[in-house]
Amino acid sequence: MSQISHRTRRAAGIGRAALVHLTLGGYSLLVLCPIVLVVLNSFKTREGIFDSPLGLPTSLTLTLSGYVKVLGNAAMGHMFLNSAIVTGVSLVAILLLGAMAAWGLTEYGFRGNRLLSLFLAFGIMVPIRLGSVAILQTMVALNLVNTLTALVLVYIAQGLPLAVMILSEFIHQVPQELKDAARCDGVGEYRIFFQVVLPLIRPAIATVAVFTMVPIWNDLWFPLILAPSEDTQTITLGVQQFIGQYATDWNGVLAALSLAVLPILALYALFSRQLIRGITAGAVK
Amino acid sequence: MKQKSGWHVLVFLAPAVLIYTAFSAWPLLATLRLSLYGTDDTGAVSFAGFANFHRLMFDDHWFGAFRNAMVNNLEFFAINSLVQNPIALLLAALLSLRGVRGATTYRTVLFLPTLLSVVIIGFTWQLILSPLWGVTEKLMTAVGLGDWFGPWLGQESTALTTVSLISVWQFVGIPMMLIYAALIAIPDEIVEAAAVEGASPWRIFWSIRLPLILPTLGLVNILTFVGNFNAFDLIYAVKGALAGPNFSTDLLGTLFYRTFFGYQSEMGSATMGAALATLMFLVILVGVGAYFLLVQRRLQRFAL
Amino acid sequence: MAQVELSKISKSYGSSPVLQDIDLRIDDGELVVLVGPSGCGKSTLLRMICGLEDITGGELRIDGVVVNDLPPMQRGIAMVFQSYALYPHMTVRGNMAFGLKIQGAGKGERETRVAAAAKALHIDHLLDRLPRELSGGQRQRVAIGRAIVRQPRLFLFDEPLSNLDAALRVKTRIELARLHRELAATMVYVTHDQVEAMTLGDRIVVMHEGRIQQAGSPLDLYEHPANRFVASFIGSPTINFVGAIVLSASARRVGLQLENGAVIDVPADGSRLQVGARVDVGIRPEHTSVVDGKELSRVPDECRFDGEVTLVEQLGESHLIYLRMAGDVELVSRSPGHTRVRIGDRIALRAEVERLYLFDSSGIACRRLASPVLEAA
Repeated sequence: MSQISHRTRRAAGIGRAALVHLTLGGYSLLVLCPIVLVVLNSFKTREGIFDSPLGLPTSLTLTLSGYVKVLGNAAMGHMFLNSAIVTGVSLVAILLLGAMAAWGLTEYGFRGNRLLSLFLAFGIMVPIRLGSVAILQTMVALNLVNTLTALVLVYIAQGLPLAVMILSEFIHQVPQELKDAARCDGVGEYRIFFQVVLPLIRPAIATVAVFTMVPIWNDLWFPLILAPSEDTQTITLGVQQFIGQYATDWNGVLAALSLAVLPILALYALFSRQLIRGITAGAVK
Repeated sequence: MKQKSGWHVLVFLAPAVLIYTAFSAWPLLATLRLSLYGTDDTGAVSFAGFANFHRLMFDDHWFGAFRNAMVNNLEFFAINSLVQNPIALLLAALLSLRGVRGATTYRTVLFLPTLLSVVIIGFTWQLILSPLWGVTEKLMTAVGLGDWFGPWLGQESTALTTVSLISVWQFVGIPMMLIYAALIAIPDEIVEAAAVEGASPWRIFWSIRLPLILPTLGLVNILTFVGNFNAFDLIYAVKGALAGPNFSTDLLGTLFYRTFFGYQSEMGSATMGAALATLMFLVILVGVGAYFLLVQRRLQRFAL
Repeated sequence: MAQVELSKISKSYGSSPVLQDIDLRIDDGELVVLVGPSGCGKSTLLRMICGLEDITGGELRIDGVVVNDLPPMQRGIAMVFQSYALYPHMTVRGNMAFGLKIQGAGKGERETRVAAAAKALHIDHLLDRLPRELSGGQRQRVAIGRAIVRQPRLFLFDEPLSNLDAALRVKTRIELARLHRELAATMVYVTHDQVEAMTLGDRIVVMHEGRIQQAGSPLDLYEHPANRFVASFIGSPTINFVGAIVLSASARRVGLQLENGAVIDVPADGSRLQVGARVDVGIRPEHTSVVDGKELSRVPDECRFDGEVTLVEQLGESHLIYLRMAGDVELVSRSPGHTRVRIGDRIALRAEVERLYLFDSSGIACRRLASPVLEAA
């Protein structure tokens, strides 16, 4: 009797597993198909793209001309650099200043502490874009229009609230004894922060880094409003304009898109485990 | 245990607070204030009370545009809420089951679109859905649904829905991750206790896991709300600032952009733009406020 | 109530064995305690009985029926988890009624049973509270109440007291014993605390590295441990071991020379032992006493240990003396009341020869013949 029930239990288990994989796999396919299609077709000639969009590039249709055109476009490199600078500097500033502010708010009790926390938290819910009118006016007044600095400043302001909130949560978990012991030893507050606390919240910093970096790199709004000049275009804006320009040059457009996808894919492949661990560890709170 | 204050507190807090105030908080307040000013034809700005709001609400041209954008935004939010979040819930629930092989791979893949630039996504989908290229048409004919295909992005009746679904495709990863994190935070022993008491997996999901992630579901919904009413990038990437065809994909974000910068023949107006931004702010405020007052408190009992 | 039989139960994760050769019979209404150090497999075994873990080999029978493939509910089992595992979003009432609801019990029946169980556990005033509003001890009771309400055939407890503070632990232990008597239920209880095991169990099963070392009544394990491990696991402070060489061996007596030079004669079954073999003598701290200076000359050499005191611990009702002897052999002694002995004193300890234990070189015990013979397991 136990033999039969064992077998039926197995069968039910397999059936259920099949459904699960069907759903997950099906949606994964939906996710990957568009990306794969684009990358695949970027290697084909125009005829190849139209005649057999779903097929692999054959010896007849294989071509790198699209890539040549895109890579040859010198401006692309410059725009990539712009994005890198803006994202990099903003990220470092957000992490440093955010950690400092999180520490200041969590560790020290002072009048208005709660109010200040609320003030910063407000920024998570209310999108910074709503103030764009005044932001542009400020940048004009400061003579910062069409500079990368303007973008950096705005992105720092945009990224701080969430960074402070997540980092505060992690700083909260640093054991009190460590801080007390350091103070007993006469270590100054600055050193405690930089040498004791900061290393301990590294996972949180990694999480915030990824969460902050992606929206900045992919942002279209502020580069459009504050720094649309050729000299200061970010890669996102640049690709957008490129596509707008060469709309009918399918080959080139697909190549541009594929190139734009690659850095993100590479970074993601490297850091996916960190990112997911960070999200599931504490960011939800 | 809080420490005594001193100069160092100021040093820690000042830079962040200053930048935040200067470039986020103050501009918002300034925009709110600017909305009370009017621009005349010469470009001069003078105090005008609620004149801008009056125009937005009662001037046919303005109100028409505003109402259109508002209705579209609501539809956008509805589709996201009703399509994106349940899918996210389903995927997260499946991923959190024990013993699913390749779960890590699935998780990685499913989160991918969120990382991609909206430009890439917008254009990729434009290509795929384009009748010229014919990929979608070919695929649908292959499964026998060929008759259903149409130039969805170019038709007034279907454009907004299509763009909404593209947005769902892109952003499903975030609520999925948040819900997944909440699901795996449920201690195993609680689920085991329910199993020992005889609950079927379905019963366990409905009676145990779902209630315990209600706070996260609430959070996901409010984040969707704020994100949707702020949306701009995808529409701009797919349809441009004019949000055609015939403004059928116009959202508050794109309307704001056009009002502020002007487009084609119409001049931009900073003050009208500010007024619109103020209205958007109020909408978001009402939504968030309602959530916190009505929903959040009641969800407290479900916190672990 | 139920009778449980484990035959040749084994468990492996992949190729690594976790439990081997588990044979055990639990009678109707018995409270059997599975005890052992961390990692010995006791929790795994409990979870296998419950149905939360698969049984790799062997058969599990409840009331004669093989239940290897049945899910927990169909085995008629209720389990109390170490962390109580209460449903955070349900009130106490909801927690206790959940299982009944699944079984299809009507509202009236649920109310009655929950009220009765709550009253028995003194938590009836907490029925509308949420778990997070309760103290550890209260949550404990709710977890137990949740199990009782379902009137299962078999109760399983997974270290239910380890999350409570010391005073509460003792109190709850007594209540659990009372509960067992009142319900006359079959219970399997897992703990790492040997005091809990000794006081609660009708029978104790000592486990180590995935195997059963010995199963028997508490006193049986105390007086006749099967091997060194059981001997040192049961009893606090831990039993002392002193090395010895066999001088003579028969089925009734074994002559030994101890490490400190003393020559003694132990009443034990030494038929397995060979002359010249190395063995271990076990001396329980509570079976030693400090020799009064006046009696020094009268104590025969054969059960006397001289040495220097390295540590004294005064517990109030008793005291412990740590003695270092020749050859760096250490002994712990326990006697009632206070003492004037101080660190550095040179004293002599007397051990009662009849109460000594004997273990061969592989750790197996030689049967003691002088102590009361109790019912075998």
